[in-house]
Amino acid sequence: MKQNRGIEALGERLRTRQIPLGWVIIAVVLILLIIVPFAWKDNSYYVHIVITIFIWGYMATAWGLVGQSGQLSFGHAAFMGIGAYTTGILYSQFGVTPWLGVFVAIGLATLGGVIIGIPTLRLRGVYFALATFAFGFIILMIVKNATYIGPVYIGGGAFLTLPRAGQAPAVFQFESKTPYYFMALAMLAGIVYLSHWFNRSRMGFYWTAIRGDQDAAESLGIDAAKYRLRAFLISCALTGLGGAFFMQYFRFFSPQKVLDVSQSIQIALIGIVGGWQSVFGPMIGGFIIVPVAELLRLNLGAFPAMSPIIYGIILMLFILFMPNGVNEPFMRGLNWLERKYWRPSQNANNENNEKVGRQ
Amino acid sequence: MSEALVAAVVTGILLGGLYAVIALGLNLIFGIIRVINFAHGSIMIILMYLGFFLWYLLGIDPYVGMLIVVPVAFGFGYGIQHVLIRPMFKREKSYVVEPLGVLLLMAGFDLVISNSALWAFQARVWYVYGSAFMGSVSLGFLHLTKQRLIVVLVAVLLTAGVYWLLNHTSLGNRIRAVGQNREAAAICGINVHHIYALTFGLGCAVTAVGGCAALPFMPITPFAGMGLALRAFVVVILGGLGSVRGALLAGIIIGVVETVGAHFTNSSIAAIIVFAIFLIIIVSRPKGLLGTIEV
Repeated sequence: MKQNRGIEALGERLRTRQIPLGWVIIAVVLILLIIVPFAWKDNSYYVHIVITIFIWGYMATAWGLVGQSGQLSFGHAAFMGIGAYTTGILYSQFGVTPWLGVFVAIGLATLGGVIIGIPTLRLRGVYFALATFAFGFIILMIVKNATYIGPVYIGGGAFLTLPRAGQAPAVFQFESKTPYYFMALAMLAGIVYLSHWFNRSRMGFYWTAIRGDQDAAESLGIDAAKYRLRAFLISCALTGLGGAFFMQYFRFFSPQKVLDVSQSIQIALIGIVGGWQSVFGPMIGGFIIVPVAELLRLNLGAFPAMSPIIYGIILMLFILFMPNGVNEPFMRGLNWLERKYWRPSQNANNENNEKVGRQ
Repeated sequence: MSEALVAAVVTGILLGGLYAVIALGLNLIFGIIRVINFAHGSIMIILMYLGFFLWYLLGIDPYVGMLIVVPVAFGFGYGIQHVLIRPMFKREKSYVVEPLGVLLLMAGFDLVISNSALWAFQARVWYVYGSAFMGSVSLGFLHLTKQRLIVVLVAVLLTAGVYWLLNHTSLGNRIRAVGQNREAAAICGINVHHIYALTFGLGCAVTAVGGCAALPFMPITPFAGMGLALRAFVVVILGGLGSVRGALLAGIIIGVVETVGAHFTNSSIAAIIVFAIFLIIIVSRPKGLLGTIEV
């Protein structure tokens, strides 16, 4: 009865509060999210919204990796677009299954990151943001205006659609939304775990140091350009993967949908509302911004200019009054709960110890 | 050189004059305050709407309307810097010269004002007709629109004026001091935030002059500013941060590259070439052609 013993041990650790509250909350949320598609079986609209939340949370978390190293990327839609266009074109024109195409997509997105990253990461401050913005703009212009690149048809700004294959897992197409749901959930959970892991790794500490004070970090022997480049390339590759999934899920793509400046701003907005430069922040931002965006779309559909105005106001308010995003109060609340209710006794012990230590 | 190529170069110089004026305004903001004014294009378009409606409703010629638009632009710019950006500067650590947050703040501001313009004025194309200085001058095979020539003239005069202001007046000294080292300028008793706001207002005013001078031949739409502002960023980087003469030179270079590029290929490839120049300059010579500020 080894399994039972494992569960008992887990229960014991929970009772003795050896597991931090954060992990317990993550587990509960994950279980709830796993139940969602079954609970809303007949309401695929809600499931769709949650999938959209996962996708944008994923994008923002990938974007946040650049932020963790202290840089601001303002052209992330380019990498998302490269991912989407690569898998989409490979499948619809060359019949390559997205399961393979996604690797090409990741490769090309990383290549784009190398092209823009290697020359610019020695520059400080806003120049990197400007260069990523210019890169995104160039890619957008190319895709919008070229009909063919070599033998490849890219549509010249038109909507491209993916041929439907019905229930075909081999080419990553499904009839119901549930498989997409779990794929997106796995991707989100995976990237947040990855981001957390990076944050706690040696490289993550380097990122934090560079972000805090680049000169001080370099004086301690950290090669700032190298570690920034790594953060950027990892982010590009993961964004390319996200773009590939985005395209497979929506089954159509156009420059406006995956490459436009507004998409770069949307990614940045989600990241900033959640908490730029934090691990969990961008994901939380996705859970806040996507439902807001959907509500705006439903209620103000007649005034298409209204939602960008509201996005702009949200962005300005957060930058002015809550520059670290909702992540900060969220984490503070978590700490408070943990101190107050989850481990009150241990805390008291700690305080006693501290008092003893001081004496 | 064929006649068409000469014509393309001359058109490029005329276009470059417009880029130079917009870039001159941006250069004051970007070069001195080190704020990436992402909303520069939208601010210009809003001011051009003001000039347009002065003409449309009151019949004031855009060239005369400048007398109203430019002071409004100055006040608008002063207000933006004073109300929106100053708190950011006060919050950031003292040695952060180019707060990234301000870039995002201005991106948000750009979303708000450009979409407000879309909401208020619709996606309609507005244009002024029948203002002063219609017609064109003929030089052999070249036919130059007078109104476009005026923009180049305005660019040259404004460049000279701003150069004189920055280099030969006490206010200019203070502005340059703040641009070089904010802390040291503050220690010398300069009210840094007042100078910043003045500079921002000045930048908006210069841009408004360009916008009004372009109004007689340039139709306005809510999002027309973005493309112009992006080129203005290219011009500022190419000319050199904080370099007034560099902005004029680079503006004309970019204008010529764009029209000549469009002459041989098409306009979207020309735009790609312009942004490729931007990337190359940022990477290989970030201080620009005539720049002095090290980055």
